[in-house]
Amino acid sequence: MHAVLDSLAMIGISYVMGFLFYGFYRQFNARVQRRWGPSIWQNLFDNLKFFFKSETLSHGPMFFFGPMIIMAGAFTTVLFVPFLKDSDWLQGFSASGNLILIIYLLVVGPLGNALAVGSSGNPYGVMGVTRGLTRLMGLEVPFFLGLGLVMLQHETTSVHAIMAAQHDVAHWGILTNPIAFAVILLPFIATQNGSPFDVVGAPVEVYAGPRVEFGGRLLGVLMTQNMMMSIAKLVLVVDLFLGGAGNFLILILKAFALFLLTAAISMVFPRLKTEQAVDFFWKVPLGLGVLGVIAAVWLPWST
Amino acid sequence: MYHKSQCEGFQCEPGLLDEGVDPEDRQLGPVERLVAWLRQKSLFVLAYGTGCGAIEMRPLMTSRFDAERFGIINAPTPRQADVLVISGYLALKTLKRVIRSYEQMQEPKYVIALGSCTINGGMYWDSYNTVKQVDRYLPVDIYVNGCMPRPEALIEGFVALQERIARGEKAGFHRYREKIDWYKANQRRVLGEMMPPDYTYDWYHAGGIA
Amino acid sequence: MIKLLFFTVSLTPAATLLGWGEGLAWPLFEGVRLTLDLTPLSAFFLLLLAMAAPLVALPMLRGTADSPAFVLFGLLLLGMQLLLLAGDFISLFIGWEIMTWSSYLLLLRSARTDLETAQSYILFNLLSAFLLLAAILVFYRFTGHFEIRTAAGLTDWQEILLALLFGLAFLTKVGTLPLHLWVPRSYDQAPDAFSAFLSALVSKMGVYGLVLLPTLFPDALAGLLGRLLDGPAAGYLLAWIGVVTSIVATFKAISQEDMKRLLAYSSIAQLGYITTAIGVGSSLALGGALYQALVHTLVKLLLFISIAGIVLRTGQRRFNDLGRLMERMPISFFGVLIGIIGLAGMPPLPGFAAKYLIFVSLLDARWLLLLAAMVLASTAAFVYCYKLIYAPFLGHANSASAKTATEAPWQYLVPQLVLMGLLVGLGLFPGLGVRLLIDPVLIALQMDPLGSPSWGELVTPYGGYDGVVLMVVFGTAFVLVTGLFFLLRGRMRRAGSPYDLSYAGEVPTAETPLHYGAGMGRELRRIPLVGWILRHSTQGFYAALVRQTRTAAELLSGFYSGNPQAWVLLAVLVFALALQASIGGI
Repeated sequence: MHAVLDSLAMIGISYVMGFLFYGFYRQFNARVQRRWGPSIWQNLFDNLKFFFKSETLSHGPMFFFGPMIIMAGAFTTVLFVPFLKDSDWLQGFSASGNLILIIYLLVVGPLGNALAVGSSGNPYGVMGVTRGLTRLMGLEVPFFLGLGLVMLQHETTSVHAIMAAQHDVAHWGILTNPIAFAVILLPFIATQNGSPFDVVGAPVEVYAGPRVEFGGRLLGVLMTQNMMMSIAKLVLVVDLFLGGAGNFLILILKAFALFLLTAAISMVFPRLKTEQAVDFFWKVPLGLGVLGVIAAVWLPWST
Repeated sequence: MYHKSQCEGFQCEPGLLDEGVDPEDRQLGPVERLVAWLRQKSLFVLAYGTGCGAIEMRPLMTSRFDAERFGIINAPTPRQADVLVISGYLALKTLKRVIRSYEQMQEPKYVIALGSCTINGGMYWDSYNTVKQVDRYLPVDIYVNGCMPRPEALIEGFVALQERIARGEKAGFHRYREKIDWYKANQRRVLGEMMPPDYTYDWYHAGGIA
Repeated sequence: MIKLLFFTVSLTPAATLLGWGEGLAWPLFEGVRLTLDLTPLSAFFLLLLAMAAPLVALPMLRGTADSPAFVLFGLLLLGMQLLLLAGDFISLFIGWEIMTWSSYLLLLRSARTDLETAQSYILFNLLSAFLLLAAILVFYRFTGHFEIRTAAGLTDWQEILLALLFGLAFLTKVGTLPLHLWVPRSYDQAPDAFSAFLSALVSKMGVYGLVLLPTLFPDALAGLLGRLLDGPAAGYLLAWIGVVTSIVATFKAISQEDMKRLLAYSSIAQLGYITTAIGVGSSLALGGALYQALVHTLVKLLLFISIAGIVLRTGQRRFNDLGRLMERMPISFFGVLIGIIGLAGMPPLPGFAAKYLIFVSLLDARWLLLLAAMVLASTAAFVYCYKLIYAPFLGHANSASAKTATEAPWQYLVPQLVLMGLLVGLGLFPGLGVRLLIDPVLIALQMDPLGSPSWGELVTPYGGYDGVVLMVVFGTAFVLVTGLFFLLRGRMRRAGSPYDLSYAGEVPTAETPLHYGAGMGRELRRIPLVGWILRHSTQGFYAALVRQTRTAAELLSGFYSGNPQAWVLLAVLVFALALQASIGGI
């Protein structure tokens, strides 16, 4: 019973936080561009509008199951990320998972959806999937290396243990391991499909993308999972680098601070082509990561 | 701003279609009203740049006019769009693509026709290959008059559309579904050989249930 | 009748595994005995063989009985059992040779095998066999016996020499860069069902050999060149060889246009992970290597057999010529789907457990750069995995035969179903696999067993995960989401035609090129590193080697000018230098 309530709470929280954060993002983006922008609820409206579409086109069973897989993947990811530390609540099933598992879970859903995109038979969609996989190939290397530095620092892959080790501000990951944070920051924005790296599912302009064939309520599902997944990733980084959160308010504050940072970075950089993005990830963040590894394990004074 | 709700001359022809149809009870229940309100809060626009009107669509989204504050934002593909903006005159070639795009949109869907050319041909009134009256081929919900209308006028049109959606009125897509034969006959008359294949619309007859 | 007999033969490894009692031994000549015995390590690989043999034999049974192929296959099984059971190097070598030759002859039975493939196959395998022979003889020279047991009392240099010889022999079999030239060709051109066996089992014999090395020299990896960070320095080199192999092979796989060739390159890449893990050499790493060997066997059997079914039904093997088979061959579709999930190492299936163990072992050794390189290879693998499912099964049918194909015959489907069941079961219970299969081997190798508190849990010192919980959470979420959505789906309309696509306002027709097939991954070349890898081939590497040698020889030949005076001058110079050196030395 506890597990069920806890899971429902986590899913609900990640959904609400998701649309509020993205509503804020649009508002913030508008203000940076010196316009009023939509209300903070706009993402909720968009999402519900799609859920209330009266018609949905399907290209067969596999096309239908794709968004379901990605949604199940988002639920699973949310449930495997601990939201709070030292608490019985908002833990989901995180005790049965670990950091490497979560990193892989982030990819399960999109790959399931890629099957649906393929089964629609639209070449533009498959083009988008290939772009997505290519970008994933680029971002995952520095992302994993940065998280590897964290795992090495704490000698565990358990998110709980890493959180527990950051018991006060001086022990926060961002202070004890700043290089790792710098390494993962840009790939993290890319996993969020954030602005300089968002050519894959470019929200407004680019025709070719994984969502090209999705409309109606299926698109609503895709939007929902995207928002929930973003929150799961934000909370994960909060757990790893910002010391986790003791209660719900602090969780929102920390996640929001991190979101503000990534949003501010997203806002000021122009979009990269896929191969430029990959090349960038393999040069700058990965290069920084290699320096981090040298500092962490190769130099004589490193433990 | 000038609003005209009555048609004139041959423009009344599509309107005559509705005469035989029973007017539905317009009283909405609370849930329906909520759904209608949500729908009008978020409009994804498929901007179909057929003519010079397309140039008025771009400033609409930028900081000066900022249509996003009304929940209006561009959509890349017809599957995701709610509103089709036909920006300017339609040639036969573009008419075919517009019809295809419209049929690929998911209901509820609306059409805004921009500029005089969509109403009566405008300055192309005697051109040999320009569609004079878009309403004969696609169900237009809102006309925005002018040559060219300013972005403010377009925003006015969007707001008028939002009010209609919020009232839950019968929209163009209902008419298209009910009078598909009339629209298809008109389209076939001008497109002839170029008519899209049957599978693109025959589900309108089948009731559209999978 | 002959088919029944053949199928019985294919069950012999299982019988051997179950019925093996005492170790056999008989004297060969003075002081040398042939011994056959079942150690836990060989039992592990024999289990793979016992599992795979009937599953591969089943598709081979279809059609008219091909008795020479049956005989050769039986011989191959015999050779491999001999190899695995061997307690001494003589029987190991005999088994190795029987395996090499019978598989070579089987390869020749395919109509598609050309001269170049046959040559490269036999040349590289003979190279491997001769290296093995040399290693065995040197081993005998140093130790005075042929038995496979810990070699004591060797100097460091003797150990290095032996490890190098044995290592090269086995790495050739595994198909490590740049000794992999024979792999893609022969896996591609071999008879379709036999490709499964080549990739899943024959290559594993190289892995068996590599795992055997730590038995021979227990602290060779650690003691030889000292330790680097928290792992053996000698293994660091081996690990990098493995990782570079997997990166290069992965990108090559992405650029392939032929299904079986793609799988061949992916085999090379997957075995590269195993090489890396063996290089790390800790108990976590070896556990990961064995797990990966197990998963790779299952996955490659599944994929090659499914692909064989497609080739049988359509006659096409290129990505461009297939498409939309999902509705025509649903079971094969699920076979390939489960296969690629395992291949990509996605969480619910056991591929993830293997990857997890290897990643953790790299963390444990603090070899983070290797970890990053391996992540690159395993993430890039998603692209070819997607290509493998998209091009044949999704998209649009791109040839007449793909439009009329029917589901593969039952001889192909039964192995697929069995393998799918095994993969899903292992994915649910990663701890069970560790407990039953991995730990006995690790104990026999005198390492710490991984241990697992329950069937579902995989536990390492760095934390673990629970396969049952994962699967249950994901399954429940999927069922709930699907059920809820299906109830609230509103008016859902099935597209009237496969061409009812959002295609920029156009109406595509059958003539429009809609299948993305072979084009997928082509744009990867624009990334500088990938482009560089794809522009260079190993054959080019060898050709460049030849060129460089020629140029060097030409430079050297400049000294032989034909002028006697120059000769004398050179001789005096060399003499003077030598004199100077020797005086200085004294």
